[in-house]
Amino acid sequence: MKPTDLHACTVIDIHNHVWAKDGELDRDRAMSLLKAADCLGIDTVCVSLPLMTESPTPEEFRQANDMVFEALEMSDTFRGFCFVNPGYAEESVAELERCIVRHRMVGVKLYHQYRICDPALRPVMDYAAELGVPVLMHAAKLRDSANVARQPRVSHAEHFLKAAHMFPNTTLIQAHIGGGGDWEWNLRVLEAMPASAKYFIDISGSVVDAGIIRKTVATLGADRVLFATDGIMEEGIGKLLEAGLSEEQLQHILSRNAERILF
Amino acid sequence: MIFDINTATGHWPFRRVPNQTIPLLRCLLAERGIGGAAVANTHALFYKNCQDANLELAEAIADDAEFFTGVATLNPLYAAWERDLVTCTEELGLKALRLVPRYHDYGLDAPEAKAILAAATDLNLPVFIPARVVDVRQRHWMDTEQQVSVEEIGRFSLGVPGSRIVITESTVSVPELVNDDGTLKYPGLYFEISRMPSAYGQTIAGLLDAVGADRFLFGSGAPFKEILPSLLKLDTIDCAEDTRRRIAHENARTLLETNTCS
Repeated sequence: MKPTDLHACTVIDIHNHVWAKDGELDRDRAMSLLKAADCLGIDTVCVSLPLMTESPTPEEFRQANDMVFEALEMSDTFRGFCFVNPGYAEESVAELERCIVRHRMVGVKLYHQYRICDPALRPVMDYAAELGVPVLMHAAKLRDSANVARQPRVSHAEHFLKAAHMFPNTTLIQAHIGGGGDWEWNLRVLEAMPASAKYFIDISGSVVDAGIIRKTVATLGADRVLFATDGIMEEGIGKLLEAGLSEEQLQHILSRNAERILF
Repeated sequence: MIFDINTATGHWPFRRVPNQTIPLLRCLLAERGIGGAAVANTHALFYKNCQDANLELAEAIADDAEFFTGVATLNPLYAAWERDLVTCTEELGLKALRLVPRYHDYGLDAPEAKAILAAATDLNLPVFIPARVVDVRQRHWMDTEQQVSVEEIGRFSLGVPGSRIVITESTVSVPELVNDDGTLKYPGLYFEISRMPSAYGQTIAGLLDAVGADRFLFGSGAPFKEILPSLLKLDTIDCAEDTRRRIAHENARTLLETNTCS
C-alpha cells in the first residue's frame, strides 16, 4: 500500500489531541490538524485534551473537556475522548457520564497522574467497562533520567499486564509504542499478554526505528494494534506502511480494530 | 531525484538495526526512490581512533562512489586529527566531516572543537552534527542521554565565520533561528528535515519562509529509521515545486560539491 492509497481506505487515528491557548481551544491548531488529516488521508481523528499537571482538579478537567466539545462542533472528523483525573473518583465518573453518555464522546483518556494498574482507577475503569468505551493511557518505558524524573508514574507494559488482570472487562489501549522509551522492552513484556485480555496498543509517537511496527505486529498480532499519530503525522503513516504488512493486516490496524472498540 | 543527507553504515551495538552494510543500504534507499546519499560510519562513534572507521568507510563505498558521498568522523581531542582530516579529504575522497561531541566526550565550547571546525572550513568542508543518534528516551544504559541543542551548535558556528554546519536529527523552530528584526541568528546553519513536522502546522514551510529554502535538506536517518516518514514530510510541505527540488537534492549537491570544486 502506498500513502496515496490511504485516501481510498477508512483510516482512524485513535490517539490525537486538541490544545488550549490562553485558556481557550486553540481553534487555529485544531483547524491545522484537520487539514493535515485530510492531506494524509485520515478520516477520523480521536482527540482529547489531557492536562499534564500533578493533579488536575475536576474544574480543570471539565474545562478541558469543554474545549474538546468545541472541537467536535468544528468537524465530524473529530471524535472525543474524555480526560479525567482518577484521583477525583466521584467527579471523574460524573464527568464520564456527562461526556460519553450525554455528549457522545467515544473513549477515556488518562495521563500519568496514576499508573494504569493503580487501585485508585477502579471506579473509572469499571464505569468505562459499563459504558463499553476504551481507556487510552499515556505510556512509555523511559530510560533517560530527565523524563524518568518528569513522569514518575508513567505506565509501561508490566503495568498493563497487571491492569489486564485487575480490570478484565475494560478495554485498555497502551499509548504510543513509538512515543519514546524502550519499545523493545515493552514488546518483550507484552509477549505474556493473555489472548483473552481486552488489550490494544497504538502505534503513535515520534520514534520510527526500523522494524518497530513489524515487531509490534509480530508480538501482538494485527488485531490488537491501532493506527494513531498523537499529532506526529508523517511518522505514524510512514512507519506503518514501511512494516511490510498484508492488506488485511493494514485494514485491521487502520480502522477495523478501532471500529470494533469505538462505535 | 532525492539525495539523502543523513544515512549511516556499520554496526550499532545497542539494538539490531537492519541494512547496515553498504550494499543493503543502497538497495533500501534505491527501492524508495533515493538516488544518492551522504553516509557516515557508525563505528566512528565508538572507536577511540576513529580514523580507522573512516578508512573502513572509504573502502566500503569505493565501488558505489556514484551513489554514496562519504562523511568522515573525527575527534578533535584525539591524536593526529589534523593529519587525518587532510587524509580524509585528499586521499579518501570524503566530502564532509561529522562531529559527535556527546560520543567523543567534549563540549562544542572546547578550543579543540573550534580548531577542527576552523580546519574544516579552511578545506571548504561542511560539518555535520547530529543532535542525537537515537532517541535518548529509549537509550541503552551504556549510551549517552545527552543531546546537542540547536543553540549550542549555533554558538559554535558563530565562532568560525564562514563555517557551514548541517544539524541532523533535530527539531527546530523559527524563534530559535531568527532575530526579532528578521535576520538569522546563525547564518552558517543548515537543517536536515527528518524530525520536523510537515503537514500538521506546516512547520517546515514556516521555516522555509523565515530562514530560506537553501538551508533545508532531505534526510531519513536510514537505516536506524524508516525512510517513508521523511519522504512524506517532503511531499507534504506547502511550497513551490522548485523549492521541493532544492530540499530533495539541489541543496545537498551544492553543499557537498562545493568542496570538490575548490
